[in-house]
Amino acid sequence: MQIKQLSAVFPNAVNSYCPGCEHGLLLKFIAMALEELGITEKAVMVGSVGCSTLAFKFLNIDYVQAPHGRAPAIMTGIKEVEPEAIVFAVQGDGDALSIGLQELIYAANRGIPVTVFMYNNMVFGMTGGQMAPTTPEGMVTMTTPFGRNTEKSGPPIYSCELLSGLSRPSYIRRVVIAPKPVQLKDRVLYSSKEANESYKAVVSALKTQMMGGFSYVEFLGTCNVNWKMSILDSKKYAHNVSAKVYPPGLFRDRFGVDSVES
Amino acid sequence: MRWFQVKRLLMGAEAIAEAAVDAGLEAYFGYPITPSSEIMENLAILHARHRSDKFKVYFQSASEVESINLLMGAGAAGHISMTATSGPGLSLMAEGISYAYTSEIPLVIIDVNRGGPGLGNVAPEQSDYLFVTKSLGHGGSKGIVLAPSSIQEAMGQVRMAFELSFKFRMPVIILTEAIIIHMLESVEQDHQFPVNVETSWSARGRKNGARHLINSIYLEPSEFREIKIKLEEKWKAVEPLSECFMCDDAETLFVAYGISARIAMEAATDLRGRGIKAGVFRPITLNPFPGKMLVDAARNSRRIVVIEMNEGQMVHDVQYWVRRDVEQIPFMGGIYPDTEEVLEKCK
Repeated sequence: MQIKQLSAVFPNAVNSYCPGCEHGLLLKFIAMALEELGITEKAVMVGSVGCSTLAFKFLNIDYVQAPHGRAPAIMTGIKEVEPEAIVFAVQGDGDALSIGLQELIYAANRGIPVTVFMYNNMVFGMTGGQMAPTTPEGMVTMTTPFGRNTEKSGPPIYSCELLSGLSRPSYIRRVVIAPKPVQLKDRVLYSSKEANESYKAVVSALKTQMMGGFSYVEFLGTCNVNWKMSILDSKKYAHNVSAKVYPPGLFRDRFGVDSVES
Repeated sequence: MRWFQVKRLLMGAEAIAEAAVDAGLEAYFGYPITPSSEIMENLAILHARHRSDKFKVYFQSASEVESINLLMGAGAAGHISMTATSGPGLSLMAEGISYAYTSEIPLVIIDVNRGGPGLGNVAPEQSDYLFVTKSLGHGGSKGIVLAPSSIQEAMGQVRMAFELSFKFRMPVIILTEAIIIHMLESVEQDHQFPVNVETSWSARGRKNGARHLINSIYLEPSEFREIKIKLEEKWKAVEPLSECFMCDDAETLFVAYGISARIAMEAATDLRGRGIKAGVFRPITLNPFPGKMLVDAARNSRRIVVIEMNEGQMVHDVQYWVRRDVEQIPFMGGIYPDTEEVLEKCK
């Protein structure tokens, strides 16, 4: 089989994400989608603060580094002066929903044609596994050693549901990006359904931007290192816990991009 | 290149807004705050009336935190962008200024000082001097700081700020006071062509060439050391500017900037009439501080008197450079210097 080099990826790029993390997978899907849609040359990625910030080492596209949580504002600034550019950010749940919630809501409420890919692993990953706004009740993190107490810190923030309350966003979707483990006698296989779904969501979100709308995709991923689990257990947790707390689904698709076969 | 000149009576905010658009402003992002809001209001009108083809974006943000990031986005894409704010807003922008400095993003901020700290009041003070010259964001970030003492000069400095911000690819602050923004003065409008800026480095999509990286993270210390050396060398190339008013034989030398310098000049003229040799040294760039020029201007003076509208901020810089006793006449709380009071204290 011939492996095609994606033009949006540096040929000698080496994945430096922890084994078992889906961040690399998401960046690969973005590179594939840019190629498929023919928009690599006008793409500008805005880096947030968190593990996603390392993307500039792998992706060979224009890149602007944003302060913590401010990626939607930086994207708005770029898009306002360069309407032809395809502008997107990869943000984590801590970045987008804790420190950067105001910037996210305003970009969404104005319907700025930009795309936010939000990687939700329910903890602050880069800083070492502290409680995030998405940490579910009872989950043990470095700052909640006895589990998250929602009486004190409030329930988790449901970003897709929150953004659905606004009229201007055009595409809102939540998918699971962590592959589902399937036990076959003494072997464990991983399903490819999640990858296919996630890739479709990336393409649809970028298509929505090209059609002039704001798009937001939440990816339920894992952080086995900070969850202190094996890779296999973390994938199970993503499906048995994350996907139950945050039900995947298509919340809005104004232009009907998901129904059109790409 | 001059087309024609007109003399008009303009309010500071109106003059600055027109000067910015004429100098080639492409994007204005702002959040209202007294006493700077009139700049934004005037720009809203100029944008709606299509005063310039280049002035495409006028945008009211949700906070100053958002403002600075909108500016950074537009600046990273290589467009001339500006905001106007006051002390409390500038505090919120400090985070972004720090990122912009390391990422080498050009942007222009007009800081209309108000009484501080805290909410203070909206009367004229020069309370942000130390903030803008010494601690503009975490990690030792800085920006070029210009201080106009008249509306005419403020208009010229807006154009200069656009040019400097792109030449050195760093934030430029115009530090001014509510007096300059709200008073009316007769000004000449030089209808020059908009400034030309070099944008080949900017992030607008790689467009079949090499990609553009606007970045402030360097995890490898040896790499970051090289970046910091480069930034420091760039900073050293910024030329300080100053004005000397009857300094040559001045035995009493006032040191003041902005509107305080105008008042100091009046006091110096008055003192000359009474046979006292007085002069004024006025820093035009507050950062970099024109220290060597000050030392030169102060070589014949017996008294050095710093006049500023705060508890004494620039006085530290003056002391550092002249290395002898410096007197100061502070005006605080939003009360601006009164010539009589200056003369009284100089007896």
